Amino acid sequence: MRSQRRGDIVAGCFIALLGAVVIIAASRIPGDPEERLPPRTLPYAVGFMTLAGGAGLAFRSWRYRGQDLAIKWPDRDGALRIAVNLLLLVLYIALIEPLGMPIVTALYVAAAIWYIDRKRIVAALLTGAGSGVVVYYLFIKLLELQFPLGLLQR
Amino acid sequence: MLFSWDLLIQGFADALTWSNLLWAFVGCLVGTLIGVLPGIGPSAGIAILLPLTTMIPPTSGIIMMAAIYYGAMYGGSTTAIVVNIPGEASSVPTCIDGYEMAKQGRAGAALGISAISSFVAGTLGLVGLTFFAPLLANVALAFGPPEYFALMFMGLSLVISLSGRALLKGLIAMSLGLLASLIGQNPLTGAVRLTFGWLDLMAGVSFISVIIGLFAISEVMINVEAAATLIYETKIKGWMPTWKEIRQCFGAMLRSTGIGFFLGLLPGCAPAVTTFIAYDVEKRFSKTPERFGKGAIEGVAAPEGANNATTSGGFVPLFAFGLPTGPALAVLLGGLMMYGLQPGPMLFQQNPKFVWAVIASMYIGNVILLVLNLPLVGFWARIALIPFPILGPIIILCCVIGAYSIRFLMFDVWITLVFGVIGYLMRKLSFPIAPMVLATVLAPMLETSLQQSLLISLGSPFIFFTRPIAAFFMALAFLSILRGIWIQVRTHAPEIAIDESDD
Repeated sequence: MRSQRRGDIVAGCFIALLGAVVIIAASRIPGDPEERLPPRTLPYAVGFMTLAGGAGLAFRSWRYRGQDLAIKWPDRDGALRIAVNLLLLVLYIALIEPLGMPIVTALYVAAAIWYIDRKRIVAALLTGAGSGVVVYYLFIKLLELQFPLGLLQR
Repeated sequence: MLFSWDLLIQGFADALTWSNLLWAFVGCLVGTLIGVLPGIGPSAGIAILLPLTTMIPPTSGIIMMAAIYYGAMYGGSTTAIVVNIPGEASSVPTCIDGYEMAKQGRAGAALGISAISSFVAGTLGLVGLTFFAPLLANVALAFGPPEYFALMFMGLSLVISLSGRALLKGLIAMSLGLLASLIGQNPLTGAVRLTFGWLDLMAGVSFISVIIGLFAISEVMINVEAAATLIYETKIKGWMPTWKEIRQCFGAMLRSTGIGFFLGLLPGCAPAVTTFIAYDVEKRFSKTPERFGKGAIEGVAAPEGANNATTSGGFVPLFAFGLPTGPALAVLLGGLMMYGLQPGPMLFQQNPKFVWAVIASMYIGNVILLVLNLPLVGFWARIALIPFPILGPIIILCCVIGAYSIRFLMFDVWITLVFGVIGYLMRKLSFPIAPMVLATVLAPMLETSLQQSLLISLGSPFIFFTRPIAAFFMALAFLSILRGIWIQVRTHAPEIAIDESDD
């Protein structure tokens, strides 16, 4: 999928598949004959539009014989950086409720900065701690937003 | 209802209250910061802050949001000129001559003319907004649900057909946006659809999650992948251009105001598009076009004027018809709806105090921005130097706070992450993002007006073609679609969207 043409064919097929799933899901919406716009109509329309758009893209790209362009996918290092950052983000979101927003924010910010630039250990620790303090005092104490406190609640 | 001086003066009186001035200042400050920082744009910035503004009065909230939008246009030029990295896509043409000027030791003059041109064009654009918006709102009073449906349909068609050579991808992006907003309950009947039995999905997918994911998270992912860092080399000596240079740029400022404002009225003509057009027109108008690309000061004045005039122009259809012309205005529209305000002609009739206070605050905001940008240029340039390894996680933190604050549900944060990944893939595969954002925000209104229209017509879709105004908009919509198809058939090129921008 390094070329634009192949990328478009694969993306088109996936989108067409999504359109088909939406059409099937729309067919299961209970109908109401009294409605001027039955509840299924719009989901059907959008499903068909998605299916047609995806199939059209895949077909057009399959038929395309001109100069192909390369998609700028990340190299191995770039892919690893994205994967680790996504993993850190997933952990951050998953731990917000058990650990509490201020603590997990401090840990996430420090870890993410340190991972991207290993030389900045002090900056990572200070920014992480600062972020946690800002979340606690600005958003939770001052603005009274209902963020999970987790361990701090105990 | 036409323009009235009394209402404008009353608007100024409201905008000049301490609290509204404070929020306008905060908006200008945050907007400039967003414009300066390359990792985040106005749409994402407004979307992140939107849930947090529900604790302040609606007028102050919208004054701040609007200030973020036009403030970002001011800030975007700083990094473009100083470090050759555009803070926003609309600042790309500014890099061409702005960075050349900086290399010649004239960064200060480039930054100065950029701020002056932004101020002149932004203010002239606001004069246009002040007189045009009530005039068009008066016309829009004749609109019923069929006209609104046709207008929004036309808006979406224009946005798709202007997505470069990517008509099919624009259509797919719009379908995905509609799909995201169809999930959950029908806005009129409350019927549940497309939840696949998942209880969390019953409350629907918030457009704020979609926008934060598509613009902010995906942008951070792109920067993480490239291991972006910033290197600051340019020294700024003096920040004012000479009077001769200001006079030399006066024509460019006026022309870019006209181009930016009138193109800004059209859906799909984001500042990223109009700045390129203004730059190109200025080059053609110049008696010495060979100077362009080598540090011509008009090459800085034209795009910087155009982007500010475009933002003012974009507010005309937003206030008069409730039609956003780009993603950032779509988020603002969502903000108005969150406050229970229905944009369109009734806004001028039912909430004149609100709408005139917001318009008046923009004049004040332009002055605030001039004051913030001219003397503080050095400060903003240093802010732009925050290394991405520190900036990236902080942007993610802001995204999480913004997404969680929508409804205080972890579900919204997960959805934001999902749309972040979708946005990343869309950027890689050259799908335009603007049609998806506009469709997500407009879908509930589109659906409601469609249902109401079909109730009026007893189920006949011909209502959109038998009423003159609706038929006019539908004809424009079909013409724009046909134009897009024709361009695509003629070029035989692969589907590539124009450079996607968060503005």
